[in-house]
Amino acid sequence: MWENRCKVAVSGVGFSKVTRSADIPLAAHALTAVKEAVADSGLQLADIDGLATYPELPATGHTEVDGISIVSVNCMMTMLKLPDLGWHIQVGTVNIGGAMQQAVNALIAGVCKYAVVWRAMHNPRGTYQNLPGAYAQGAAQFTAPYGFGGPGQGMAVAYTRWLERHNQDREKMATLAVTQRRHTQHNPHAYFYGTPLSREDYLNSRMVAYPFCLFDCDIPVQGAVAIVLTTADRARDLKPRPAYLAGYGQRLHFEVAGRIGSLSNYMEGGSSSAKLTWERSGFSPKDVDVAQIYDGFSASVIYGLESYGFCKEGEALDFIQDGRIELNGELPLNTFGGSLGTGRIHGLWHIIEGALQVSDRAGSRQVKDANVSFVGASAPIVTGTTFIFVRDPY
Amino acid sequence: MSDWSKVTRPIPVPNEWTKPFWDAAKRGVLALQRCQSCGHFQHPPYATCVECISTDLKFEAVRGAGTIYAYTIMYHTGDKRFASAVPYASIIVELDDAPGALLAGNLLEAPHTEAKVGRRVEVIFEKLNDDITLPQFRFARIASAE
Ligand SMILES: [Zn+2]
Repeated sequence: MWENRCKVAVSGVGFSKVTRSADIPLAAHALTAVKEAVADSGLQLADIDGLATYPELPATGHTEVDGISIVSVNCMMTMLKLPDLGWHIQVGTVNIGGAMQQAVNALIAGVCKYAVVWRAMHNPRGTYQNLPGAYAQGAAQFTAPYGFGGPGQGMAVAYTRWLERHNQDREKMATLAVTQRRHTQHNPHAYFYGTPLSREDYLNSRMVAYPFCLFDCDIPVQGAVAIVLTTADRARDLKPRPAYLAGYGQRLHFEVAGRIGSLSNYMEGGSSSAKLTWERSGFSPKDVDVAQIYDGFSASVIYGLESYGFCKEGEALDFIQDGRIELNGELPLNTFGGSLGTGRIHGLWHIIEGALQVSDRAGSRQVKDANVSFVGASAPIVTGTTFIFVRDPY
Repeated sequence: MSDWSKVTRPIPVPNEWTKPFWDAAKRGVLALQRCQSCGHFQHPPYATCVECISTDLKFEAVRGAGTIYAYTIMYHTGDKRFASAVPYASIIVELDDAPGALLAGNLLEAPHTEAKVGRRVEVIFEKLNDDITLPQFRFARIASAE
C-alpha cells in the first residue's frame, strides 16, 4: 500500500454556470468556480498557495486565446494575485487528473498548503471538431483524408470492434444514457438539469457517427469547476467533511498516434492506471460503493468498467442493466449525471462527485454508506487517470 | 452508395517517417514499415519497432488483402467537404501480411450498410493529385476464405 494514502483530502468544491453559448469570457467562469470552491472550504482566496490545471481545448481547428477559450495557470495567477503563492503547474498530458495528481504530490512534498485545481471548458462557435484544412499533417495524414475528424470517430471505430467482437447490441447503451440523465435531475449545476431523457428518446435519436447517436456524446458547453485540495490534518479544520485520497494511478500504455480502432489502447491504458490505484489503496473493485467513470462518449464507460476490473471484457453493457447502476444499486455510477448530464467539462467533475459522495455532501443523489469511492477521470486511452476516495482514513 | 465525387479530401503531407509509404502508393504499391530485426510490420510509421525497440526499419511491399478490423458510419455533416458523401463508411483494415498494423480507409464501391467487422477487403488506389495517391478499400473480388 501507498505510505501517503489518506494524507491529502478534497475539501471545498465550486461550480460556474454551465451554458451552451460562450457569452462571457471563460476566465469569468473559472474565477467563479475557484472562488466558490475556496468559500466552500471556509478559506479566503489569500490562503491559496498552489494552482494546477489542464487547460486544453479538445475542439480541433480553433484558435486558443487565453482567458477566452482556455484558462491557463498564468491567467489564473494574473486574476487572483495570490500573496503567498508557492507552487503551480499546468500539465500537458494525462488531462485534468494529472493536474490533480501533481497538486497531491506538491501537498505531500510540503511546497504548498491549499491548492486549487480547476477545469474550464469553452464551446467555440461553429463546428466543434474540424478536419484539418487543405492539408493533413502528422498522424492525421493517415486518417483525415478518409473523413476521420475528432476523437468521436476514433472512439466509434473501437466501439464497433467491441460490439461485433463480443456480439453485443448498441441499444443496451440506452440504459446508461437514461440512468445518468435521471441522476442528472439531482444535480442543479448540470446542463441537462430539468431535461429528462427516455429510452425512446435515445433509441430514436439521430446518428452522429455510428454506433454513436446524439445521446452517446456529451454536449459541448461553456463552464468551469474547481476543488480545494489540502493535507488531511488541515482539511479536518475546514468546513466540509474531508474526502481522503486513498490512491491514484495513471495510464502507462500508449500506442502510436494515428493507430485508431485498437481496443488494446483503451483496455491496457485503463488497466495499467487502475492496477496502480488498487495496489496503492489496498482496495479492489468489489470494495467500491460508488463509481464515477468518464463518459465524454458513452463507450468510455464500457472500457472503464472492463479495464478497471468491475466486469469482464465484453460484458459491460450487460453489467449496467437491471438497476445495478442506480443510486440504490450495487454500483451507483456517474451519480452526478456524468458528462452526458453536465455537459462537456471533462473529468474534474467526476473527481468532485467521487469526493462529495464519501463526504455525505451529494444532496438528494447521496448514495447510502458510500465509504469507498472510485473515479476514472478521463477516457482510459491517452489521458487516463484513476482515483479512490474514502470516508475514513486508514 | 456514398457519392465521393464532390468530396475534397485533406491532402496528406509526407514527412521523414511517412514519405516511403506515399512514394509507394503513387506507384500503386502498398508498402509498410517493417522491422529488420524481428520482422514485425507496423502502421502508422514510427521511430522504433513497437515490438522490439529496434530502429532498423525499412518499407516493404505487402499484398493489399485484409479484413475490416473496425469501422464507423459518418452521419454528421459538420465538415462541409465530406457532407455530400454522408452517410459514409470509414474503416480500419488489418492486412493479412501485417497483423497488428491498422490502416484507415473508406469502404468504396459498396453501400455503407455493408461495412462489418471481419469482412474481406482489398486495396485500390485513388489519385488525389500528381504527388499523392491514397490507398482505399473495396470488398475483395477474389473469393477467399472469409
Ligand atoms: Zn522489431
